[in-house]
Amino acid sequence: MRSKIPFYTTICVLIFFYLPLLVLAVNSFNESMYGGSWKGFTWKWYIQLFHNQEIWNALQKSLLIGIAATLMAMILGTMAAFALHRYSSKLQFFHYTLIYTPMVVPEILMGMSLLLFFVALGIDLSLVTIFIAHVTFCIGYVALVVLGQLQEFDFSILEAAMDLGADWWTAIRKVLLPLLAPGIIAGGLLAFTLSIDDFVVTFFVAGPGATTLPLRIYSMMRKGAPTVINALSVILLIITFIIVFFSQRLRQSKP
Amino acid sequence: MADFLEFVNVSKSFGSLKVLDNVSITVQRGEIFSLLGPSGCGKTTLLRICAGFEQPDSGKVLLNGKEITPLPPHRRQVNTVFQSYALFPHLTVWENIAFGLRIAKKPKAEIQDKVEKYLDMIQMTDHAQKKPSQLSGGQKQRVAIARALINAPQVLLLDEPLAALDLKLRQRMLVELDEIHDKVGITFLFVTHDQNEAMSISDHIAILNAGRLEQMGKPAEIYEAPRTSFVAAFIGDTNFFDGVVIETKETEYSRLHIDGFVDVLVYNDKPKKVGDFVHLSVRPEKISIAHDEPAKTEKNHRNLIRGKVEDVIYLGANTKYWVRVGEYKIAISKQHKRFLLDEKPILWGDTVWLFWEADDSYMLDRYRAEDEQLLSLPSSVD
Amino acid sequence: MKLSARKKLNEWLITLPSLTWLAIFFLIPTIGIFVIAFKPANIDGSVGSGWTWHTIFSMSDPNYPAIIWRTIWLTCVGTAICLLLAIPMGYYIARVSPRWRNYLLMLVIVPFWTNFLIRIFAWKVLLHPEGIVKQILLALNLVEPNTILLYNSGAVLLVIVYSYLPFAILPIFAAAEKFDFSLFEAALDLGANRFQAFIKVFLPNIKVGLISATLMVFIPALGSYIIPEIVGGPDGEMIGNKIAQRVFVDRNLPHASALSAILTFVIMIPMLVVLTAQKREETIPQKKVGGRP
Repeated sequence: MRSKIPFYTTICVLIFFYLPLLVLAVNSFNESMYGGSWKGFTWKWYIQLFHNQEIWNALQKSLLIGIAATLMAMILGTMAAFALHRYSSKLQFFHYTLIYTPMVVPEILMGMSLLLFFVALGIDLSLVTIFIAHVTFCIGYVALVVLGQLQEFDFSILEAAMDLGADWWTAIRKVLLPLLAPGIIAGGLLAFTLSIDDFVVTFFVAGPGATTLPLRIYSMMRKGAPTVINALSVILLIITFIIVFFSQRLRQSKP
Repeated sequence: MADFLEFVNVSKSFGSLKVLDNVSITVQRGEIFSLLGPSGCGKTTLLRICAGFEQPDSGKVLLNGKEITPLPPHRRQVNTVFQSYALFPHLTVWENIAFGLRIAKKPKAEIQDKVEKYLDMIQMTDHAQKKPSQLSGGQKQRVAIARALINAPQVLLLDEPLAALDLKLRQRMLVELDEIHDKVGITFLFVTHDQNEAMSISDHIAILNAGRLEQMGKPAEIYEAPRTSFVAAFIGDTNFFDGVVIETKETEYSRLHIDGFVDVLVYNDKPKKVGDFVHLSVRPEKISIAHDEPAKTEKNHRNLIRGKVEDVIYLGANTKYWVRVGEYKIAISKQHKRFLLDEKPILWGDTVWLFWEADDSYMLDRYRAEDEQLLSLPSSVD
Repeated sequence: MKLSARKKLNEWLITLPSLTWLAIFFLIPTIGIFVIAFKPANIDGSVGSGWTWHTIFSMSDPNYPAIIWRTIWLTCVGTAICLLLAIPMGYYIARVSPRWRNYLLMLVIVPFWTNFLIRIFAWKVLLHPEGIVKQILLALNLVEPNTILLYNSGAVLLVIVYSYLPFAILPIFAAAEKFDFSLFEAALDLGANRFQAFIKVFLPNIKVGLISATLMVFIPALGSYIIPEIVGGPDGEMIGNKIAQRVFVDRNLPHASALSAILTFVIMIPMLVVLTAQKREETIPQKKVGGRP
């Protein structure tokens, strides 16, 4: 008695989602440049990719910024979540709006506004400006993930710890933070993926030489070396799948 | 009166689990009919088949002599009061009640009239513009009933409508439900696992167990003359004894031998031969308990036994005793005129006389293995 | 008194780091957009001193309304398509067994953990004149051999839908998962057919999910820059491209700021609509409680 429409829609949408990725993967082994037809199997794009020093440099910069921005966002975001959870004042309403809005503002506006800001203050664009931009759009994600976990947190545990003789700081360090660690780490992972993935904001605030991986991919796309990008995409896809698989495993193994 | 709603040989399986096994039930016009059974007995599935949410694997459902089995839910003149009420949270009480009429595209004035009439009937006129989340359990219940009844269904299906309410409210709603039924005169098909609800409100009851129909009849018939061990145990409490017929007497009575007990006399409700195995059931309130040996009666169809009191539970309205006789622990329920003033109260450890009339017990077939678990449950206190 | 003062101090101490960061690097720059829009531009690409209305007036250049209009319709149509696909899909995911539900959610999320640029690039490859989509459509005789699939509004719309559809599916699924499907049966029981039950009972009850899905697609789609940049060509340009051109090609920051300000206003519209609708919703029941006489 159920309608079949939802089922067929789901199937079609999933095909729609995966078709481009599949074609990308197949083409990464294709001799042909644009993959309209199959011209034979090859590893050469992968070999070209591994000899492309620019990509390795870009990856290095992306990782550097990603890790630094993630750590900063984890600290600021976690503190913000505590403040939002603990207090409910006008200040926190303003605070929450500031945390929330960067997540809904289109990237181009954020990139544009930061660029203006740096130009107006005469700050040279560099890896540091990218770092600042990334922290700015990551704080909110960490804060909201941690806030979600704080809302489920049973604060009587903290009282129990203090009842058992722990002082305020010890209770936070030994009880609260370990219990919140999954939330903080999850927020950090989210921030890291956002940072690694970001193109638009980075594009606006990157200085000469501060080429992250997405910026490198973009310039390669413009120059028209699609096949090496295919190969790179496949490697990134595989890494994504492995991370997703293991994080899923990790979540399932938890009680 | 003609049969109104009929289930004919209905069977239904979910995967390998058979939830309904060849069930045939007839409901008469205008009555309250209860489907009673433990959870998982198939009663809700039967109701959902009637509403059209499930299709039977075989068998059919007739309403007014016409088969309704293939009709989708919205084509059946049958409405349901859901267990969780399923009130639409985005609509007000008024809009909830009007839903069916609006779907049927009835004229505005008629909808207005009817909704007000039903709001008045359930005494919810003052709450017409509230959302379901602002109502109490009992109010939600009444709205759910009005929402279903306003469509003037041929049959109103009620799926455990009182299960979500607390005891006091349940009792009050049961009375209200009965009053509403008297007002509208629509056939009610009532699903419940609570024997008290079923006994107090129904004209007829069907008892289901593990997908099979155990017995169908008036509440008194079911209580006084259960046909199976399951029914005897499920409706009220009872004492079971395993025995063998050793003598048939005057064709009306049989004498049973019960291992670890005494031989007892029992009324022959079904013809039995010497050597037949039977399962004897005696209700706790049919057994009398006394310190002194009772006087002999004229007919002498009385079974008289001595035993030792092992437990006494004072329940207010009555008192329960458990008395050890051989390997049996017999439950007795006794009403007191004045418990505190009894000169010689029966106490733990006392040796007492137990007696019951042969006509107050009945012989049943041995219960099936799958009922074992259910029957061994401690008998309920209320 | 002392205690509450200390509490206030604690609150400020813990709030200050994130508050300061976001105030300096988000709030002030955002306000900056509106300020710079009133500044003159110097030929050398720097922002001049003094104030001018010139930049704002230049927005009436006939080129801009066309692009703003295209941005809005592409976004609206894209959002509508996303909702149309996401509603049945969210419904389906909410109704399957929990095991399948997890798999389906993973299948929805995983492709979007891959690099955004790469996903757009994949479509460029697919829609390329020698790409597979063109070849298939040709084989099916659906297009002329010289039809160009890339570099037009249609390609932009397709990739917008592709990129933002998961943001519509997830909130709708989350709302549908909380939906009590016995309400659906109740509607059927009261005489509604499946379609009526879907419209009158299911959709109103997942309203929250529909609203957040709409915003989650609408806002980023409106600010699309890289999608039209890669697959749009001159005929598929949106406001985002113009902003970037003013920044990187003309080096005219006031102009880019004025365009950004317009974009900000366009984004405010749906958010204000939602906010006022929510306000109204909150006040209505209070007015009506007590019922009719």
